[in-house]
Amino acid sequence: MPVTPERFAQGMTYDEYKAQMTRNQERFAANERGLELAAADLAAFEGLREPLHVLVLAEDWCGDVIDNLPVLGRIAAESGTLDLRIFLRDQNLDLMDQYLNQGQFRSIPVFVFFDAQFNEVGRFIERPASVTERRARQRRDLFAQHPEFGSPDTPADQLPEEIRVAIMQETTRLRAATKPDDNREVVQALREIVERAKT
Amino acid sequence: MTQRPVKVTIAYCSECGYEPQTLALAGALMTEFGHDLASIELIPWYDGSFEVSVGGQLVHSMMREGGFPEHETIAQAVRSHLKAEEQPA
Repeated sequence: MPVTPERFAQGMTYDEYKAQMTRNQERFAANERGLELAAADLAAFEGLREPLHVLVLAEDWCGDVIDNLPVLGRIAAESGTLDLRIFLRDQNLDLMDQYLNQGQFRSIPVFVFFDAQFNEVGRFIERPASVTERRARQRRDLFAQHPEFGSPDTPADQLPEEIRVAIMQETTRLRAATKPDDNREVVQALREIVERAKT
Repeated sequence: MTQRPVKVTIAYCSECGYEPQTLALAGALMTEFGHDLASIELIPWYDGSFEVSVGGQLVHSMMREGGFPEHETIAQAVRSHLKAEEQPA
């Protein structure tokens, strides 16, 4: 069922979404503040001939939403060319099930870009594949550098607690260190979508 | 015959919103097995994990099976483990 202007208008604005969040508000705000948006990237969005509507599916408990929705929010605020409406995934499964990851999974966030006539221009789901690949590489490297962690295939419950804690701390540290790279990949993925709208 | 209580562990992705499924499974096991459980360990983990082990044996992995387990699947694993661990009174 195509998204109609009326259905789109039922979504929350970005500020309304942030106001109703019940968890992860500080991380969300920190990610919003921490984004370094290059002038050339912003210009790509400012250069749109007409604004795009962006339907967002999100939940405030989701790590990928906390990471990537602030990127879209900053771009929308600074470019003035993206009209965001945000829907809570679990209360809008009719929308979610139209944008399943690999046709199967209710992954979020989902950003669906529409032109003025609500023709879909493109979509972004969860995170860029390059970010997923980087995390897998980080995990392999982490275990290679720390033989005391054992095998990366060891189930969590078979790891001593101190090893589990060390793995989580190192994983958190590595992800924080590569956050600017992740953000650049997200911005690039969104740029590629809007570039299609210009053709 | 007495049964040696069994430990269940659930490693769940703590940034994926899997708390409701984790607590629902833990609650179902607590209700059915009571003191036949030695403990239920909840492990906040990452990368979309949902792994359930019974008596140290992995019986469900989201990565392997996809999705969440049926509670009955885990309950059956607990029953099997309890029976295997039966000891003379």
